[in-house]
Amino acid sequence: MRRFTAVVISALIVLAGCSQPTEQAVRMLTHDSFVLSDQLITQLKEDTGITLEIVSVGDAGSMVAGAILASGNPTGDLLFGVDNTLLARALEADTFASYESPELANVLPALRPGTDAVTPIDYGDVCINIDDRWFAERDVVTPTTLEDLIDPTYQGMLVVQDPATSSPGLAFLLSTIARYGDDWPNYWRALRDNDVQVSGSWSDAYFGAFSQAGGDRPLVVSYATSPPAEIVYAEEPKPETVSTSVMVDGCYRQIEYAGVLRGAANPEGAKQVIDWLLSAPVQADIPLNMFVFPAREGVALPQVFVDFAADVPDPLQLPPDVVSANLNEWLVTWGEVMDR
Amino acid sequence: MWLIPTAFLAAFLLWPIAQLAGTVQFSELASLSVWRVAALAFGQAMLSVAGSLLVGIPIASVVSRYRGTRWTLALVTVPFVMPTVVVALAFRSLFPFDNGLLLVVLAHIYLNIAVVVRVVGATWAQLDQRIDIAAESLGVPPWQRWRTVTLPMLRPAVLASAGIVFIFTFTSLGIVLILGDATTRTLELQVLRQTSVLLDFSGATASALVQLLLVAIVVGWLVRMNRKLPPRLPRDQALRPLPATQTGKVRVVGTLIVTNIIVLVPIAALVIASLRSSGGWTLTWWQSLTSIEAGTTRVGSPLSALGLSLTLAIITGIVAALIGGLAAMTVLGAKTTRLIAIIAILPLGISAATLGLGTLLAFGRPPLDLRATGLLIPIAHALIAVPLVVAIVAPALRANDRRLVDVASSLGAAPTRAFFTAYGPVLRIVMLAAGGLALAVSLGEFGAASFLGRAGTPTVPVQIARLLSRPGEQSFGVAAVLAVILVIMTMALILTMDRMAKRVRT
Repeated sequence: MRRFTAVVISALIVLAGCSQPTEQAVRMLTHDSFVLSDQLITQLKEDTGITLEIVSVGDAGSMVAGAILASGNPTGDLLFGVDNTLLARALEADTFASYESPELANVLPALRPGTDAVTPIDYGDVCINIDDRWFAERDVVTPTTLEDLIDPTYQGMLVVQDPATSSPGLAFLLSTIARYGDDWPNYWRALRDNDVQVSGSWSDAYFGAFSQAGGDRPLVVSYATSPPAEIVYAEEPKPETVSTSVMVDGCYRQIEYAGVLRGAANPEGAKQVIDWLLSAPVQADIPLNMFVFPAREGVALPQVFVDFAADVPDPLQLPPDVVSANLNEWLVTWGEVMDR
Repeated sequence: MWLIPTAFLAAFLLWPIAQLAGTVQFSELASLSVWRVAALAFGQAMLSVAGSLLVGIPIASVVSRYRGTRWTLALVTVPFVMPTVVVALAFRSLFPFDNGLLLVVLAHIYLNIAVVVRVVGATWAQLDQRIDIAAESLGVPPWQRWRTVTLPMLRPAVLASAGIVFIFTFTSLGIVLILGDATTRTLELQVLRQTSVLLDFSGATASALVQLLLVAIVVGWLVRMNRKLPPRLPRDQALRPLPATQTGKVRVVGTLIVTNIIVLVPIAALVIASLRSSGGWTLTWWQSLTSIEAGTTRVGSPLSALGLSLTLAIITGIVAALIGGLAAMTVLGAKTTRLIAIIAILPLGISAATLGLGTLLAFGRPPLDLRATGLLIPIAHALIAVPLVVAIVAPALRANDRRLVDVASSLGAAPTRAFFTAYGPVLRIVMLAAGGLALAVSLGEFGAASFLGRAGTPTVPVQIARLLSRPGEQSFGVAAVLAVILVIMTMALILTMDRMAKRVRT
């Protein structure tokens, strides 16, 4: 009881002392991969009075599915993590309320969407990862382009993910469509003839089939930031270098957005959280926690990113509405080509 | 008595489904591809059922009847809770075949041995073995004794376990996703593709409804089959010592050894993975258990996830045993209330994604926002576990002699008292067995827990999935550690439950 009284009194003192920030709660829906440092969330509370409740609701697809079904009557105030492949469907369902963040001026121009419903927060590239040690041991030159992957030199070396069940798998399919247009099924026929392996999930491909983890495939569809993650999530003492690298051709760019949910209980608080997500300290915290790049210009990257993450010069991309309109048909065609 | 399970199922099962069913266009139900997938899944599930019975019944025959088998009985429950990703990766490394039907069926058998052993074993332990012993002393050969004495008495339990294994494998997701190919697709996988990649809810709900319909037909058929059976004489049996004959000993001990090997090999692969890094043997992953990613929103510490999973498992065990037990008792009553037992089995046929989305729509927002209360995960887990409880308790109750109630009543006992005098001893034993399986379900459950989501700590299987979704040997190492701990926790829980059941018995 005494402790309770003490808490109440100190809370009153705090409240009386700083009348500026009003106590409020904001609930942010996000996917399983969302990570930030706790101390930033404490800081947000001190600066603005916002208690940020982070609710993770499955993978990115399930999260967007839930948000669309509850459109207009959402289960949170804002959503973080809808990406450019899923965005069009969320916009069609009128899931978000308009908000133009003042911080948007600081965002890399290439990332800005053609809508004020969502705000870009981070981006990453899905690229082929190469087990360099495997190639060095066998004295084989590593592939550098999508065309190389259908060359007999690289027969039986690539593992990809099923685009119908895996997000990087889908991104890789979209990159081939962006590159080859209507001719993409022929590229996949050639991949199939070159003995490409298809996994159901990223984990299965990366930890099961990829030679780096003991499998027999030295090429895997993963992310441009997977090599630095190999260092960050290694055993102590951390290695100084890494034996995998990234093929920078044929990468697909994924942009993650946040948006205020239409019908939110606390839309003003949600807007403040979006500004906060784009603020320099949060943006600098993003790379080492989520292994993606900050959307804000001029944010210094951690050294391990500078050294080992790939800087992709010309990532491939498709407009969200084109993806939305054709996705079903593409997946059916892909299934026919690959006999899946 | 039937009011509680009815209310529970209506609120947390039927209402969320109704919320979703509103979004279906009926033309989708006629789509050919849905039914083609259903046919593929049906064939695969039948093979998995046959395999699980073939492996499970011999094991059940030993662990439910002989002394010194408690360890093995607990052990066979373990695969049931192992994260499917982990089992799939272990099977991939153990068996050198390509992805496809064979690999999927093998993994399904491994995961579902527990269902057959637990469900059949619970009834087997209650059988009057004097008939069998009498036949044995009259020189009836084992095969004939099995066919004419034991099998008819076990039929309800065998059918119940076959039904559950069918439903589990017909609606399989994780194993099919990782080890399957074009020939092993399930409707559950279809639902996943349609909800989280295509965002085609109408199609997803149509697939989910077709799956539910087929599961309902199977469940209805099972219940019909079981109704034709005459009542059995009950006897609470003590476990036997090992058989005296040489061949009998070899048979029992041999079965135990083979069972231990089957179950332990993939677990051993897991233990090794938790102790390996690129630099050789290491304890790093075990040491990082308390501190991994401290200071971020992601996981807190694995220890807190273990605490949460344990708490959820205990709540689930109690709720599922209560609701499932009451639902199972309705099989003794009138025709109308029997319907409840059927409905109680349906959650098995509903995809986690469907249930998750429906629950979100029904309870994830004002005026009835249960998400903030943290109740949604235990409710979802209880829904998944209730069918197993019903499947274990109902056959055992049916095998009990109903005349005991009449005897008790005619001696002047009030109806409730008469019921518990007649069924109490059986009920306590099977409820503990069922509660144990419910705990195991909750510990290993991933789909609903990930989908329903909540602020703060994730459950252990969700945490394992998150770790496995990023690169680095630490991710895999710590995931393996968590999986090993999940296995140990399951063993401890099941052994405790079995010990309690034994104390009740003596």
